[in-house]
Amino acid sequence: MTGSLGTTSAPPIIELREITKRFPGVLANDRISVTVRAGEIHALVGENGAGKTTLMSILYGLYQPDGGQVLWRGRPVGIRSSSAALELGIGMVHQHFMLIPPFTVLENVILGAEPVRAGVVALAQARARVARLAELHGFDLELDARVGRLSVGEQQRVEILKALYRGAQLLILDEPTAVLVPQEIRELFRNLRRLRDQGRTLVFISHKLDEVMEIADRITVLRQGRVIDTVETSSATPSMLAEMMVGRPVLLQVPRPPALPGAGRLDVRGLSVEGERGRPRIHDVSFNVRAGEVYAIAGVQGNGQAELVEAIVGLRRAATGRVLLDGRDVIPLSVAERRAAGLAHIPEDRHRRGLVLAMSTRENLILGHHRRRAFSHGLLRDERAVDRFAAERCREYDVRVPRLGTPALALSGGNQQRLVIAREFAFTPGLLIAAQPTRGLDVGATEFVYRRLLEIKAQGLAVLLVSVDLDEVLALADRIAVLYNGRIAREFRRGEADAATLGLYMTGGGPPTGQAAP
Amino acid sequence: MRSRGRLLLLQAAAPIVAVFAGGVIASAIILAIHENPLSVFGLMATFNMQAGSVASILTSATPLIFAGVATAIGFQVNVFNIGIEGQYYIGAFAASLAAFGLRGFPAPIHLVLIITAAMLGGLLWVWLPAFLRRRRGAHEVITTIMMNYIAFNVVLYLLGLVRDRNLGSTVRIRTPLFPPSAQMPHLAPLLNALGAPIPGYSPLNWFLVIALALAIVVWFWLRRSRFGYEARATALNPLAAEAAGIVVGRVQFVMFLVSGAVAGCVGLSDLLGRAGYFDIDFPKGLGFLGISVALLARNDPLGVIPAALLFGYLNRGAEGIQAFTNVPREVITILEALIIMAIVVAYEIMTRYVRVLRKQEVA
Repeated sequence: MTGSLGTTSAPPIIELREITKRFPGVLANDRISVTVRAGEIHALVGENGAGKTTLMSILYGLYQPDGGQVLWRGRPVGIRSSSAALELGIGMVHQHFMLIPPFTVLENVILGAEPVRAGVVALAQARARVARLAELHGFDLELDARVGRLSVGEQQRVEILKALYRGAQLLILDEPTAVLVPQEIRELFRNLRRLRDQGRTLVFISHKLDEVMEIADRITVLRQGRVIDTVETSSATPSMLAEMMVGRPVLLQVPRPPALPGAGRLDVRGLSVEGERGRPRIHDVSFNVRAGEVYAIAGVQGNGQAELVEAIVGLRRAATGRVLLDGRDVIPLSVAERRAAGLAHIPEDRHRRGLVLAMSTRENLILGHHRRRAFSHGLLRDERAVDRFAAERCREYDVRVPRLGTPALALSGGNQQRLVIAREFAFTPGLLIAAQPTRGLDVGATEFVYRRLLEIKAQGLAVLLVSVDLDEVLALADRIAVLYNGRIAREFRRGEADAATLGLYMTGGGPPTGQAAP
Repeated sequence: MRSRGRLLLLQAAAPIVAVFAGGVIASAIILAIHENPLSVFGLMATFNMQAGSVASILTSATPLIFAGVATAIGFQVNVFNIGIEGQYYIGAFAASLAAFGLRGFPAPIHLVLIITAAMLGGLLWVWLPAFLRRRRGAHEVITTIMMNYIAFNVVLYLLGLVRDRNLGSTVRIRTPLFPPSAQMPHLAPLLNALGAPIPGYSPLNWFLVIALALAIVVWFWLRRSRFGYEARATALNPLAAEAAGIVVGRVQFVMFLVSGAVAGCVGLSDLLGRAGYFDIDFPKGLGFLGISVALLARNDPLGVIPAALLFGYLNRGAEGIQAFTNVPREVITILEALIIMAIVVAYEIMTRYVRVLRKQEVA
């Protein structure tokens, strides 16, 4: 498929032999053996908690294995720290970038490894080196641009350049596509292939099977701390990989019930919202969501989605315009009053907005419902009612916890999201706003979220889905609006647009049509 | 599940390890001044076992419990009320006005009125910083510290106005003496009847019981009430609390006020259980000690009790060591500081380790 030169005959650059890592009560890596050949793109796939991150942390020197051996170019090595890993030639691009926004690209790249002459940073020398590297790898970057002003895709390139500048021969990329749009992903893949063709080795961690199929030469599947298999991409199929990951057949396409739209639930009229420091972020946006349909807002991250959602749920003031919920203007209402009026919200960032991580599972399940009479016993809380509710929710939404008192921070990402969903679906809301509901979730958990969203839609709820994941939008939505630069660039009915068309509108392209009337 | 037991054990061990670490460093200092640390600590232990010492420890812990709880209430929701000091000064002065000003009430009613006056005094002094924070976002650390300075001087000025002018030729500046109805009964008679050999001169009084009850009530209120739930959610993740419809600013405002009201009571044990008047030598610094106590207790109202007792213990021990050895009292002050620092460090390490363990428990 990717037809690179001689990967089958290439010697291994790194070999992990029987790596075992035990945490109290958990075997995170169970005798894992993986061989990465020099000059290949090797994908590592697996569900959350399968042991990918632990394995890569061992490789990058952040953890020490309890058993097993790491061989670098055939020689056993002990990687005691990330600087030791860098010295060997192992670099890592983290999912969350480690960049300093006010610094320029050049400053960020050389930070911590600046060439110094007589106590002064030799900028000219550094610039020449970085420029050469960027050119060699076809990285289109303005070295004097401030990193804070770059797009996410460009920032990622800076991260990769940083690792290359430090001499990385093996580059670990932790879910590099999670933050990118289709066009940026294509660019990233072009860059990765070019890196490979120039002899670097890449380890690519991902959940997304179609991407893995496209970019990887070989794929290793992990499940529950063990290697299930390493396969040549040419002999693999997505459904086979999915089954290996989950341990059972998975439906990648969730059967979608037809939309039976009923009465209008949410009616947004001429809404404008300001962001930080009064910068306008949403301009005169209008749309409506009817009962029994999924209305999706697609768009590249940072085009006003966050502000739009916050204005609807009451976390941010609207500059102008109206938000009608079942015909009633909710703009003057507080967050609590809007929730009471039937609005439920799965926040974009479950750690920041969705959960109180240090609180127990049961206390997280009543967050936002805690003032309901069902949980009150005079001034105090009715602990039994809370327990009953929490147990019932966990059972129904398959939130796997050892005890209801386990703090939310101890749950896996998928479990945390199930917890948020279990909570927000409770007490039959009229409108559900789901912002990036499957971000960071693995195949199994994503499938679960899709099923539940479509289920409540079939029950007559209105769902407003805000997502940067086009596959998700296409799988779930009955109508799709593309948000670009704070405006709705175009509204589509289901089937009217494919991913390519949506991608075009998401990046500001497409014929200059006005906002489609609902 | 076995790791769960270990988890609890580790969490309990943190303060003990910290106290031990503090002790080791203090030993080094004692060694450096050519004394035997074992005999010094041994002396402290035996001295502190005496009935008189126990009474003294409990007496000095009483205001520290109030101060610790007041601090913890604010710190819980990230309101850094550094103004306990000024709030209790104003509270104590308001209480003494009610104590000598109101006459003819039976003791229980008079005492309730005095306590109410103290809380109102604390409330008055905390209101302005709380209001400024809520409305204008003024940082409470700055405003409450400034309010402390104002408090001391306002109280001095007012004391000059109401001072007892019938003291003849003495230069003593104090309020008129409080009537008997304004004195908090001592605990010694009751404890003696129960068989505890508390010396009769001990000023240990019912404010200890009130302090303990307060700590328990506040703990329960935070744990089990709706408002307490909102307060904890606010403390642990204000963004998520906001998204759940909790008005974070309002919760913090209320907690700020409660903190001040509790702070108003800090000086009462000394005022009504010991002195019987307010003078210019009224104890200062209890509010700042309260910050240390709350820190040691990790802002847990129940934890404030052992933390305050530890401070009382060290304090009394320092008196004993000073009286019977050549070790200066400052060494004990250093020990106190070291223990606090050691606890902060030990707890931070434990918390991180526990977090990793927890993650594994379910991963």
